[in-house]
This record gives sequence, structure tokens and C-alpha cells, in this order.
Amino acid sequence: MESAQVDAAVAPLRRRSGRGGRLLRQMAKRYDLYLMLLLPMAWYLIFHYGPLYGLQIAFKNFNPGKGILGSPWIGFDHFERFFDSYYFGRLLWNTLTINLFSLLIAFPIPIFLALIVTEIRGKTFSKWLQNITYVPHFISVVVIVGILTVFLSPSTGPVNKLIEAFGGSPVRFMESAGWFKSIYIGSNIWQSMGWQSIIYIAALSGVNPDLYEAAKMDGASRLRRIWHVSLPGIVPVIVILLILDVGHFMNIGFEKILLMQNNLNLESSDVISTFVYTTGILKGEYSYTSAIGLFNSLINLTLLLLVNRFARKTSETSLW
Amino acid sequence: MRKPWKSSAVSIAIATSLVLAGCSSGSGSDSKNKGNDASSTPSASPSGVSASGFPIVPETIKLKMFTRIAPVNGPFKDMPVFQDYEKLSNIQVEFIEAPTDGFVEKKNLLFASNELPDAIYRSGLTPLEATRYGAAGQLIPLEDLIDQYAPNLKALMEQYPEIRAGITTPEGHIYAIPGIVTLAAARTDKKWINKAWLDKLNLKVPETTDELYETLIAFRDQDPNGNNQKDEIPMTARAGQPGQGLPVVNMMSGSFGLDQQLGYNINIDNDQVQIWMGNDRNKEMLMYLNKLYKEKLLDPELFSQKEAEYLAKQGSGKTGFFFDQTNNNFLPIQDQYVGIAPPTGPNGDRLQAQTSPIARDFGAFAITDVNKHPEATMRWIDYFYSDEGSTLLRFGREGEHYVLKDGIPYYTEEYSTAENQPKITPYAGGGAPHIISDRVASYINPPQVQEAQKQLDPYMPKVKYGAPMFDEETAQRVNVLRNDIDKYYEEQSTKFIAGALSFDKWDEFRSTLNKMGIEELQRIYQEAYDKTKS
Repeated sequence: MESAQVDAAVAPLRRRSGRGGRLLRQMAKRYDLYLMLLLPMAWYLIFHYGPLYGLQIAFKNFNPGKGILGSPWIGFDHFERFFDSYYFGRLLWNTLTINLFSLLIAFPIPIFLALIVTEIRGKTFSKWLQNITYVPHFISVVVIVGILTVFLSPSTGPVNKLIEAFGGSPVRFMESAGWFKSIYIGSNIWQSMGWQSIIYIAALSGVNPDLYEAAKMDGASRLRRIWHVSLPGIVPVIVILLILDVGHFMNIGFEKILLMQNNLNLESSDVISTFVYTTGILKGEYSYTSAIGLFNSLINLTLLLLVNRFARKTSETSLW
Repeated sequence: MRKPWKSSAVSIAIATSLVLAGCSSGSGSDSKNKGNDASSTPSASPSGVSASGFPIVPETIKLKMFTRIAPVNGPFKDMPVFQDYEKLSNIQVEFIEAPTDGFVEKKNLLFASNELPDAIYRSGLTPLEATRYGAAGQLIPLEDLIDQYAPNLKALMEQYPEIRAGITTPEGHIYAIPGIVTLAAARTDKKWINKAWLDKLNLKVPETTDELYETLIAFRDQDPNGNNQKDEIPMTARAGQPGQGLPVVNMMSGSFGLDQQLGYNINIDNDQVQIWMGNDRNKEMLMYLNKLYKEKLLDPELFSQKEAEYLAKQGSGKTGFFFDQTNNNFLPIQDQYVGIAPPTGPNGDRLQAQTSPIARDFGAFAITDVNKHPEATMRWIDYFYSDEGSTLLRFGREGEHYVLKDGIPYYTEEYSTAENQPKITPYAGGGAPHIISDRVASYINPPQVQEAQKQLDPYMPKVKYGAPMFDEETAQRVNVLRNDIDKYYEEQSTKFIAGALSFDKWDEFRSTLNKMGIEELQRIYQEAYDKTKS
């Protein structure tokens, strides 16, 4: 976010200056701002643009001994291999569905939570609610998966004990393809809804109180006020966060999915990012998996452009 | 390696957000490809490396080695073998230790980024990795060095010609040297059954797979440990690592006429190589294991348990039937268990299919192209291929860690516990480059284990072919094919056994294997086999 602020600060300067000489003068005058800009720029150059150079190995037969430049070009072979692979359909399907369901189900929940927290009159209670819901955010992924394993264990887990108490037979939650996506998304919601609602709560507090007053005078009920005042007030924030979410649509959840994976749930837990890790890093197929990663990023970029354009047309809010 | 690029493409698109910082590892792979081509042959004069005797070098040299450290081990620098050997050889070794978890990842990144140590020790290189990194010039060819500077290893290779055949590429190079096991009992996992339970329930040792089934049912239902609880685990096995097969399958396959030749799921009949994964015999075996699983005779944690959990189960006395090379993990209750012969299967097959070749641990040691003292390094490692060196490695110092009885070393009482013993030797945890002969095996081959091995001996395959060495291109092709096939096979087998996939789908399973190119793979193995025969 820092760089966004700096950009915003610099933009009017640029517009005013226009020609080269004047720009330089302006830069000298506001050198402190430009110095601040250097850091994020270096970050992007070194960590985000620099590695792009290595992307060429997706079209090469990378051999570490020969280095990136010395490895022979082989064109689109790795892509063809991936598209022909038995796992292609499954990987793409799982990656898309897991993320799509996450977006559909998990995205609105923090908004509801934020509305509830701001609408509650008792300040102590709303503070409690807020704190309790955002504490899980600080638990590491490994511990979360450990908690899931313990709670859902077929022999000793409380969930299955409860099922048994009601006369059911224990379910092997962690080892079932059918349950995987629900457990993954459900635990994600539990862990992150509080944290994500913070930004909405902040946005809600920025909505002009006069609007609520006016709505109240006109006799609008609570729900009506939420619908006509609160929600429209935070739509820009919602749209921006949606676009950001789509921005890492294809990549989220790598560690957690990897930790939850086993042969029995692989049918629905095998996703592109974990496949890239197990095949690329563990088996040393760098070129092949770079191609897969590149393909993954292309899908992601397309999605992002589509959503951004859609947002600009419908809500006049977009990233660019 | 991968993550930065992925997030970069995304981040360019949403260039305002620092939210997706996801950059973990650096982008080092490109920076260091200078001048490997020139230095791949050791041309520097062997500066005063003595051809025999100690010290190896007149002036102290330092070497960096990358190694794997098992959870049971202590730090390598505290091990008596490395402390004493440093003084003896005048070579200082600094070990870069990576824990077993995540070791493969670190090893691969080391090669991919070309930031190599002088040698890799206990490295578990696969034949593909040895070929690939050797052809790339990152590992140097060792055959000449072995000739000149490794008298012990050379003698072993002459005594057992299959060692050389198993580690030499078609081009004639050796890029990695193996851990060598001349002791047959260290190449098999024994089949341990709870004799105390058998006696209590008046059962005899099961001779067939059907009898084994009945026995396991008795273990499950008749409370053999007498605590009025159904807490017995009739049968268990290791969970296995992705890409290395399912241990429970490997342990039982011999009873169903499924051998494991050429380091893979292969039967050899009249010189015909057959990959048996789509075979009806395999279906029969998986159905049998599925029956055991359904009846809760097989440990429900079979596919998920960690190594430590499995070892703890061995020592708990609650297990009826399991597999391991030694009795070291259940020493306090060792009297309860005996080793048995493989049960006879429904078609009369009785084979101990799971057994390793003499060069048991492929790729245990390799020298990289940045090493300035390859001759000295070769001499350094060669010592461990003598009984004397192996004794030092496995047993430490005489008097302090071991005593000699009839010329054979035995741990002192303090160091014969499962707690202390693995701390003083790098062999515990497997895969160390050295010789394991009957001279250094008092701990892993006590009478009980010898007895268990005797049960297996009559059923060992007549000839055991190790994994063949392919040329680089073929190795690459095998890798492509096996990545898909092995992953598929392991996943589907797990599901067949656990009942998550019905055997109605067997034909689909077979046809998918065919689609993945199992016939091409079989052809490649056939060719490799034909070459070793001729």
C-alpha cells in the first residue's frame, strides 16, 4: 500500500511539470518524496521483475550445469506435455473450483461480519466479537492443519465423538476427497474472516453520519439503512478487495493444501501450485514446472483483466 | 525458484499491492553459471596426497560437505568418528546439515542454484540425478579416482562385479558411489509377528495368506494382550514417501508372485521384462489388502503415520505383525516377536520380493566440480569401505563406545540404547556411504535378526537385478513417464486398499496406465535388461 500512497502523492506533480526540464526541477525540489519511492521500486525490480529473466526456462531444457542462458531452447514442448498430461484436467478443475468457491462463499462473510460489528449497540460486545474473530488469523498454517487433524480424527477427534454420540459412524474427514474442499474453505473462513473484516469496519466508519440521520428522518428501517447507506458507502472498497483477491486467485492456499494432501483426497486436493512444488522442486523438473507456473499466471492475469474491466464498467471503481 | 516468478506476473498486474509478498527463495539460479565446463576434469596436481596410509595430506585441508541428518542423530561434529578421523586424515570436514524432512528440496535447490559444497555425503542421489548432474558437469566422474585413490572400494567392486554394473552409466562414468551392504540381513525387512500373542491364543505361525488373515482376526478379536480393550493393531507398515511405492505393497507382493526386479515393480520371466502394475496378480494382492483394511486388520493410520509414530508402535507391544530390518526399535520387548517366512499366496507363490542389491544405498556420496582436492576427498571416503573405517564410523572409540569380543565390536551398555546409539554414528537413519559387513553388524544383526533372516533365505529371488543406469536422454524419458505413472499408481493403489475406489474400476485403472505409456516404459527397461545380459 505504501507505494500506492507515494504514487498518489507524486501524480499531481507530474501533471503540473509536463516537460523534461521542469520535471527535473520539481524532482529536485521534492527529492525526499522520490527517495521514498526508491525503496518500493527497488523491491519490484529485484524481486518481481528480475526473476522474470528466468522465465525463459519454460521454453528451454534447463540444465543447472549449463545455466539459464546455456540451456537449449525447445519451444513449447513443456506446455504440450502438460496439456496432454493425465493430471491437466484435474489440476485445472481443482484449482479453479477451490478458488471460485472460496471467492463465492468466503468473500461476502467479512462484509456481513463488519456490518454486524458496526450495527451492534453494545460497544463491549462488539469489541469482544471483533477480537475473538480475528485472533485465529495469527495461528500459523501448520498449527491450523494440526488442529484440523486432531479435531477431525476418526478415533479420538471431538467431532467424530459427537457424531458417534448421535448414533452415526465416524467419518474419515481428512482422508476423503468429498470432504476436502469443505474443510479447506470452512477453516479458511474461520481463520480469516475477522482479519478481513477490519478493512470493511474502517470503511464503514468513514461513511458520512449525516446520511444515516437523513435516512432515519425519512423513516428507513435498520435493514434499509444498511442496504441504502452502509453498503453503497463501502462498494469501492469491496470492489478493490475483490480485484485484489482475483489477483492471487490461482495461487492462494499452497502451504495449507500441501499439508492437508494425502493419496486418499488427492482427487480433489491436487492443485497446480502443489503439483509445481512436488514435481519441480522435489523431482527437479524445473523447466516443465516453470511452464506450468507460467500457464497458471497467464490464466490469472486474464481473470484479473476481465474483472478489472467489468468493475470499471459497472461500478466506476477499478485498479486502473 | 518457482514462487517469485509466479507472484511476479501477478504483481506486475496489480502493481500497487504489497499484499502478495510471497517471495521466499532468492533468484540465485542464474547468477552462478561461470566456468563449470572448464573445470569438470580434475587436472590440478594432487598436492602431496599420499596413495596409502595416514595422514592423507601433509597440510590440513578443509572440505565442505552437504549431508542429511536424521531425527535420531546428534550433530555430526560431535560424532567420535569425525572427530577422530579429522586428526587421522588431516582433513577438516565442515558438514552442512539438512534434516531428513525437506532434505530433497534443499539438495535439489543446491544443484539448481549451482551453489555447491565440495562433496555431498549421505546424499541419496537417484540414478537420474547422478546422470543429470554428472552430464551437466556439476558432479565429476569418479572412476579414475576410484582406481587410484580408493583401494578398499576398488577391492569391493572387484569382489562384487554387480556393484560396478549398478553405478556406471552407459558412457562408462561413475558419478556417485553407493553404500555397500555385503550382509544379506541388512538388505531385507523382516516379517515380525507377535509370538507371545500366537502362544496365548494357541495359534501356530501362519504359513499362507489365508492363515495370516485368520491370525489377524484372532489378534483383533481375542484380546491377546489381555487388557480387555480392543487396542491391538493386528498389522501395520510404514507410510512411505511419495514416489517410492507403498511399503505395505512391497512387503506383501512376493506372496502374490510379484517380484521387484530392476528396482521397480517388475517381474522377469524367461528374459521377458514385465511391469506388473496392471497385472491381475496385482489386483489379487490389492483385493487381499483391501479385505484386511476393511476388516480393520490393517492399521487405519497406514497411509498417514509418520516414521516416528510407526517406530513407536513397534515398541508399544500393541502390534501383531509388522516389517522392519532389525529388532532395534523394539529391543525392550524383543522376546515377544519372531521373524517369519513370507506367507504362501493363493497361487502358491512364496517369495521375499523386497530385498536390496549389494550396492544398497545408491548415490550415497559424490564429489562436485568445485572441489579442489578430489583425490584427497576420494581417499577420505574410501577409508569407510574398510572394516576398520566402518568400525570407526559405526561404533566410535574402542573402550568408550564399544568393546571387542572375538574381534567383533559390540556397543558398551551406555551406547546400546535406542536413545544414545544413533547420536554417535551417522549410519543410524540410513544411507551413509560405507561398508556394512558381518564384521560390523553386532548391533543390527543379533541372533534374533539372524534367525528372522534365516526364515526369509529360502524364498529370496535367485537373481536380484538392481535399478539399471540409463543414458541421460533415456533417463529423462523414464523420469517423465514414471513421474506420472508412479503418482497415479500410488494414489490409486491407496484408494483400492482403503476402499475409496471399487475394483469395478480396475479396467479403467489399467487403461489409464496404458495411456500413460507403461508399455514404452516396459520397453525401455527391457532394453536396459538385455544390455546387462549381453
